[in-house]
Parts: sequence; structure tokens; C-alpha cells
Amino acid sequence: MLKMTHLSKVYRTEVVETYALRDFNIDVKEGEFVAVTGPSGSGKTTFLTIAGLLETFSGGEYHLDGIEVSNLNDNARSKIRNEKIGFIFQAFNLIPDLNVFDNIEVPLRYRGMKAAERKQRIMDSLERVGLASRAKHYPAELSGGQQQRVAIARALAGSPRLLLADEPTGNLDTQMARSVLELLEDIHREGATIVMVTHDPELAARAQRNVHIIDGQVVDLSEDPRFHVVHAEHTGTNA
Amino acid sequence: MIQIKPILAAMRHHKAGTVLIALQIALTLAIVCNALFIIQQRTARLSRPSGVEESNLFVIRSDWADKSDPQHTDIQMQADLLALRQLGSVQDASPTNSFPLRGGGWDNFIKLAPDQVKMTTDAAIYFADEHSLATLGTKLIAGRNFTASEIGSQKPRDRLSSAQVIISKDLAQRLFPAGSALGKTIYVSADANKPSTVIGITDTLQAHMQSRRTPDYAYNAVLIPARLLDDGTVYLVRAKPGQLAAAMHDATKALYAQSRMRIIDRKDGVMTFAQVRQRFYKSDLGMAILMGIISVVLLAITAAGIVGLTSFWVGQRRKQIGVRRALGATRGDILNYFLTENLLIGIGGVLAGAVLAIGINLWMVTQFEMARLSLAYVAVGVVALLLLGQGAVLAPALRASHVSPVEATRSV
Repeated sequence: MLKMTHLSKVYRTEVVETYALRDFNIDVKEGEFVAVTGPSGSGKTTFLTIAGLLETFSGGEYHLDGIEVSNLNDNARSKIRNEKIGFIFQAFNLIPDLNVFDNIEVPLRYRGMKAAERKQRIMDSLERVGLASRAKHYPAELSGGQQQRVAIARALAGSPRLLLADEPTGNLDTQMARSVLELLEDIHREGATIVMVTHDPELAARAQRNVHIIDGQVVDLSEDPRFHVVHAEHTGTNA
Repeated sequence: MIQIKPILAAMRHHKAGTVLIALQIALTLAIVCNALFIIQQRTARLSRPSGVEESNLFVIRSDWADKSDPQHTDIQMQADLLALRQLGSVQDASPTNSFPLRGGGWDNFIKLAPDQVKMTTDAAIYFADEHSLATLGTKLIAGRNFTASEIGSQKPRDRLSSAQVIISKDLAQRLFPAGSALGKTIYVSADANKPSTVIGITDTLQAHMQSRRTPDYAYNAVLIPARLLDDGTVYLVRAKPGQLAAAMHDATKALYAQSRMRIIDRKDGVMTFAQVRQRFYKSDLGMAILMGIISVVLLAITAAGIVGLTSFWVGQRRKQIGVRRALGATRGDILNYFLTENLLIGIGGVLAGAVLAIGINLWMVTQFEMARLSLAYVAVGVVALLLLGQGAVLAPALRASHVSPVEATRSV
């Protein structure tokens, strides 16, 4: 589903080159639920933005659902984002001027979907996250957990091949975080491929597989003595 | 246009900015439509024909220092005219009281019967002689010119008295719409016992009075075969081709040689007809330029307002644009979003502006006797304002379309 091979991302200024990702390799199979962990500045978010085609990479190869994406133009990348990828952001990223229904409708409109189908998908996805009764509410009228559920509904409505979640519970209290996580697990059980970036060890432990990033590279925790303690304390699974 | 519903929904949350820009567009449209209409009316006046061959024509105003003896004045005028016509640089010269574009003069009620109570029309009275048509360069389209023996003289307080008159074709058509005016009797004088026979009809000849309130009389003129013995006189002089400046100099010199007992104003005693035209239409041209400047300034302010507000909105919604891009919006979708948003605001503005434009015009019609605003001006204004809006929003909209989707992942 998602395969990066020797991928690199370099940020260049006049005086310095900074590698956010270096010789980065990852292979996420269809139907997997993968947690990507790592310390701040390790390259987790850079990996996610490249995986989601939000920005380009400097070298290597990236195949998404069998498509080599490095040579795609901006419109083609937009189309893939729209049709194949569902995003769940830490800050929810709902549009405050639009109600719940209209928020979920945004990516479906860009797909050129007919109104009847859009409505059906929106109501189905709202049912799925348990917020069918809140369709006419505005984001400001919802709790953080409810807003994240709306964001998940927005990601699900387009039936994406891949769900990318960036710290999906980062802005939620424990109770709300737990319910959002259970929702993601349900979605995974129904066959979705999920890649989730998180700081939260508890959250990572609930994923099927953990990938740890340090200094822009995927590391095998079991082979790195620096991380044995952390590794033992948390999950026991790694890339 | 797939984005209209969410744009309208979003606009409800930005009411203040939306309403302000719509109001600005409405006011601009209302004022610009009326301003353009005024410009068109004024410039149309500028381009009206005078009926005079204006090139090589100039005007001398001579005031008499000794005003006591009309008979002496008559002799002096004849001597002046003889001297002017003998100048090598002059083609012809004639006396008059007024002429087209003078901006003032003598006009009389014209009647068709001696006992008629209400006038048939009004007309400018131009005192003329047998040289007047040649000097003016005005064509005679029917009948004949005055002969030297028909030219008399008249004091200002005398009632008009002329057995023969030449009239302009517009006056002829107004007086006798069914047939030719030639040979017909008209009453130029208030004296019922003094009829005048139309012996000639000129081509177009503009009247000196050009009030916007009397457009019907604008081309009514009657030529009376007489020299007006007033406190001063006006000589129309046609220079030979290419000798206008020389003729103006020679003519002034010749007149002073005839008599020093006269005053020819140094500033505007001698004027080319081009200067006469310029002075006559100064206020019209000034008004047209003023209205043009107001229109340009208003349009520029409106465009700047749209650019400013859209730039502000783009900056404010940077994250939102990134989210839309992350969710699959292409650059074209983002560009389309801002263009459509502006178009919707613009449509609201021009609808209100069209009503306001017509309202302002109706008020001016009642208050200032202005003509009714043609709806074509409103239509052109609507299209122009919408295009201006789209043009103004283009740069900030293009900036918005280049916001990267990665903005969605950045914390504000």
C-alpha cells in the first residue's frame, strides 16, 4: 500500500543542508495499522507529510497503492490526496465557517460527486462516528473529541485506501482520546490501512506494528541498545 | 461553480467585510454610472456641429469709446469692414451682434401669424450682411443671400424690422414641417405689422443660446440684414488659408488705423474660433474631466478595497486553504473559490448599485433637470464592476492557490 525506498528529504538554505529523512525505508501492507513513533524532530511529521503527498521529497522512491508518485504534477497529487488518502490531524483542522455536514462535504465536492451521493456518504460517516445528530452544528459548538470524530468522519466519507493520522489524540483528554482510539481500531478491523504518527506509547501499543524513527531513519529498536529499556517498557513490537 | 453553497455559508461568518465591500461596489456603480452618463452628455455637447467653418475664422470685439452718435457708428462700421476686407491676409469680414458658441445674445419668439398669442418657437437673432454667409462658411441650401442694398442698420432699442430674413434649416423645418419655408412669411418682430419673408435657408447653423433646458432651440437661427448700432460691435473675420495669425494681427492694426476711439480688449478682444469654442465648452469639458477623475478614483479605491480585503482573508485563511489542499483541492479549485466568492459579493453589490444608480438619477432628473439615465450605462457599469472585481481579486487569489497543502499540518 505504502512503500518508501531509500527516500530522503533535504531542507536547503544558503549555508546548510538539513536531512529530515535519510535513506528512509518503510513498507506498509494493505490492512495494516502502523504506529510511527520517535522523539521530537526525528522526522515523523515529515514522513507523514510526504506519505500524504502534502510535500515532495528529495530522493528515493515512493509507491502509493502501486503508483510511483515522484513525477506526478500538482493536480495529480491533489487527485490522489482526494481519492486515496484520508487525513486525521492533531488540531482536527475543521473549517470553522462550515457546519459539520459542510465540513465533511468539502473533499467530496472536490471529487465532483453528485449531491445525493455526497449526502448519503456524509450521513453514513456521521452515523459511523456517532454524530449523526450534530450535522448542522458548527465546530465551535462541539467538544474536542466530537471535533476529532467529525474529522475522522470527513476522512472516512471519501472511502480512502489509506488513513494518515497525525497525533490524533494529542489535543484530547484521556477519556476522549480513548474513545477516538477505539474508533480507529474499529475502522482498522473493518479493513482500513492506518498509519498513525504519535508520541503516546499507550496509543502506539494499540497499533498492529510500530515503526520508530530517529534522526530521519527507521530504526529497529531490538537491535539498538540505547532503546532497550524504552522498548521493553512499552510494546515489544517494532519495525 | 460547485463551491457556491459553502462559500455562501462561509460568507455568513464574515458579514462585516462582505457587506462593506458589497456596499463599496454598490456606491461605486451608482456614482460611476451617473458620472459616465454626465460625461457622455457633456462630450456629446462638445462634438455638436456649429454650422460654421471654424478654421481660419476669428472674432474681434470692438467697443466704441464715443457712443453718442449711432449714425457715426454706422459710418465707422462700414469703414472698418471695408478696411478689413482689403487686407491681404483676410478673405472676408462681416458685422454681427452674436454668433454660434458666443454664449449670449439676442433671441426672439417666432410666430407664423400676426395675432398669434403663443410663440411657435424661439430663435437666435444674428445681425448680418451680404458677406456673413461667406465669412461664417455656412452654406445656403435654398433661396438667395442678402444683397448689399438690403442691408440696413438698427439700434438696440428699436423693434426688429426686416422685410427679408434668412433662417437656418432646423428653424425652417420647425416652422414649416410640411413644406418649404422659402417665400413664406414669419413674424420675428413683436410688431404685428412687420412680417418677414424667408428669402434663404442655410444649412445647419447653431444658435448662440445653448442651455441644456432649451435643446429644442439649439439650431434655430434667423439672419437679419442689418448692422446693429450698439455700444460696441463684433466683426467676424475669415483669414485666408494658413494666414490666421497674420490676419489677426493685421486686422487689429487696421481697425486702430481707422479709428483710435475704440477699445479692443487685449485679453479676449480678438479670439480665434477655436478659442471661442474652448471657452464656450470650458465648463462642459471641466465637468467631464471632473466626473472622469471621480470615476477613476472610485474604481481605484474599490479595486484596492477588494485587493486589501481578499489579501487579508487569504492571510487569515492560510491554514484553511492548506486543509482544503490536503483534502484534495487543486490550485485551480482554490483560485476558483476566491474568484467565485468575489463574484458573489460583486453580484450583491451591483444589484444594490443598479437600484441606487437609477435612484440617484431620478433624484437628479427632478432636482437638476438631467436626462434619464440609459439602462445601457447601468448594464455596462455592472459588467465593468464585476470585471474590475475579478481583476482585483486575481493577484491575492493566485497567492492563495500557491499555499502549500503542508500548511494543514502546521500549528498556527
